[in-house]
Amino acid sequence: MFVRNASWKWAVGLTAAMTVVSGCGAGSRVAEGGGGEQVSCEVEVPEGDTTVNVLAYNSSAIDPFTNTMVSSCTQDGLTVKHDPIDFAGQVQRTQATLAGDTGTFDIVETYGFVIPTYAAEGKLMPLDDLFAKYEEQYDLDGLNQQMLDTMSYEGTLYALPMQAQVFTMAYREDIFEDLGLEAPTTFAELREAAETIQQAGVMEHPVALPWLASSDIVTAYDAALGSLGTDFVDHEARRANFDTPVAAQAFEELESLLPYMDPQVTTFDQPAVQQQMYNGDAAISIMFSGRMTDLTDPDNSQYADRIGFAAPPAVEEGGKQYSALSVDGWSIPANTEVDPDLLFQLMAVSVGQEASEAAVPAAYPAREGVVTSENSPYADAANDAISNAPATEPYPYTSLISNEITPMVAGVLTGNTEPQEATRRMQDAAERILQDTR
Amino acid sequence: MRRREFYGLVGPSVAVMVGLLVVPLYLTVKWSFQEVDYGSPGQFVGLDNYAQAFTDPRFGRALVFTAGLTVVVTAVLLGAGYVLAAAVNRLGRMRPVVLGILLISYVIPNVVGATMFSWLFDQNFGGVVNLAFSWLTGEEVLWYVETWPNRIMVALNVIWSMLPFATLILLAGLQGVPRDVLEAAQLDGAGPIRTHWSIIVPSIRGVIGFVGLISIMDILRVFDNLVPLSPQAVQLGNESVMLYIFNIAFRDGGQDLGLGSALSVLTIVVILVMLYPFLRDVVREARQA
Repeated sequence: MFVRNASWKWAVGLTAAMTVVSGCGAGSRVAEGGGGEQVSCEVEVPEGDTTVNVLAYNSSAIDPFTNTMVSSCTQDGLTVKHDPIDFAGQVQRTQATLAGDTGTFDIVETYGFVIPTYAAEGKLMPLDDLFAKYEEQYDLDGLNQQMLDTMSYEGTLYALPMQAQVFTMAYREDIFEDLGLEAPTTFAELREAAETIQQAGVMEHPVALPWLASSDIVTAYDAALGSLGTDFVDHEARRANFDTPVAAQAFEELESLLPYMDPQVTTFDQPAVQQQMYNGDAAISIMFSGRMTDLTDPDNSQYADRIGFAAPPAVEEGGKQYSALSVDGWSIPANTEVDPDLLFQLMAVSVGQEASEAAVPAAYPAREGVVTSENSPYADAANDAISNAPATEPYPYTSLISNEITPMVAGVLTGNTEPQEATRRMQDAAERILQDTR
Repeated sequence: MRRREFYGLVGPSVAVMVGLLVVPLYLTVKWSFQEVDYGSPGQFVGLDNYAQAFTDPRFGRALVFTAGLTVVVTAVLLGAGYVLAAAVNRLGRMRPVVLGILLISYVIPNVVGATMFSWLFDQNFGGVVNLAFSWLTGEEVLWYVETWPNRIMVALNVIWSMLPFATLILLAGLQGVPRDVLEAAQLDGAGPIRTHWSIIVPSIRGVIGFVGLISIMDILRVFDNLVPLSPQAVQLGNESVMLYIFNIAFRDGGQDLGLGSALSVLTIVVILVMLYPFLRDVVREARQA
């Protein structure tokens, strides 16, 4: 009897202890479904069974296009396959699949930032001929010319644009109205608005930006530098710009926002910033536009109906906006063994009129006139942002420099490195890459 | 057994081991002397990759962090695992239930478990531990951007995920201790602590050594736990050797497979050095047997 009682006591104690240490934390909300319209997919399927493997990261802005392709085009003799993956995973798999004589994927999601690098290395298939061949059949003339240009390298098209992502500002309209604030158009106004919210005791950290030290932070630095009118590289002189005063000024401007942000902001990726807005922990955020619709979903947040959108502020008055424009598209790896005509048609279906309309408001499709203020709550903000974003740098070395300087930029914004030391090292690293890629 | 039967039975295992162990090891050693990009033949660079590894302070920091984590967590696993195993060993019919619960954290994939664990400390996702700590101490701890709190959180997670394994193996060892030996100790007047220290522990020394061996190998290879738990690992000096290799070979600046391979070879050497005492004991026991 004693043994049995003792056993029960031990059992209850151990069970309780292990339940506690097994973890019972709260979870995050994730998007359900992911959209994707069932559209007509009339493509010329080659004889025999063909499988097309698609590589595309999952997000509410990309999923509708991927899902349309997969669900609409799988038919007799043709299987279109896509496995869920995050952005970091896509980046690594793209590198791996494009490396050898043969690859795992037949269609890969690419974006303007990486196209010059891969195109210069001959890893992507030029699409000009296929575009001309199928332009009429799939109404490809409805694609935005600016986005087609972003998907091109040295005048040759390497990807079919599906949608654009641009920095967009989301803010809590209710708090702004209560405090008599306007959406900030400069960093000075942003600091002022944040200060007002702090002083009113509404929030301790009213600003949330994706500054993850291992990746997003370099996009933030690029956006600040671009807003101040400077690129990473003086492309004509082929010389890095990190030893110019503007490079240090960009750091100062970013650091000036730190007092208004969570002290752990350098661990925030975009989902973490979304979570700050969902929770009501932040009143102002700046993220890529593909993240905006989630903020207005009542399933995600009790504040969903109080979110307003605006173009991001400029670092200095009169400058370009603190922004980054990224166009996502579909590319065909040069090493695929599947018929390129078939692959191009699948891509064309995915960015067709019907599919693009169905992707709104989660995405900002590449087709002209699809996004309007009637069907997308952030359309006006995104249109403004696209017009006033700093120009992209479509050169093969841009992404290499960006990768290389990421830890150095992070060093400054985490307080571990002085800006002067970081800019010196960034200049050296960039010059070395420019030399190597000459 | 005929020679043909012997080769027929051993052949598949040898083929798998050559394919999955020897070939990758050979390629890793070969690439460690080359500059290698994806899809391109490597170019011989002699000891350049090793020189670069030894002169990179980040590698040194990663080694120190990983070694420290291994020593501390292994010690905790052996101590807490033993106590827990002894407690579970006293249970009656409830033992399977408790063991089942214990195994939850062990069977959850590391990255999933680490992500859930990170939410306990993340105010964005509830942060139960964070809230409790603030409530008890009146101070807010920045678990993700301060070096030592982050190290503690990482260590706790590794312990959380590996403790069931240590407990389970040690429990098997405890159940193998002859009852008459324990009764003899009791008759001689040995108390519980003396019995454990002088009778049980020496008799399951081999099992303890095995748990230590596996734990050290696992902790030296810590990687995926750090992705959700230490997003700022590089800046905090909390980058494990495996994360460092991943960052160098696949992420920072693209694709430095040569340097990544040299770092892997050095890691194998470090693992062998740290395992030496345990391997020596295992060999000694095998000889005695």
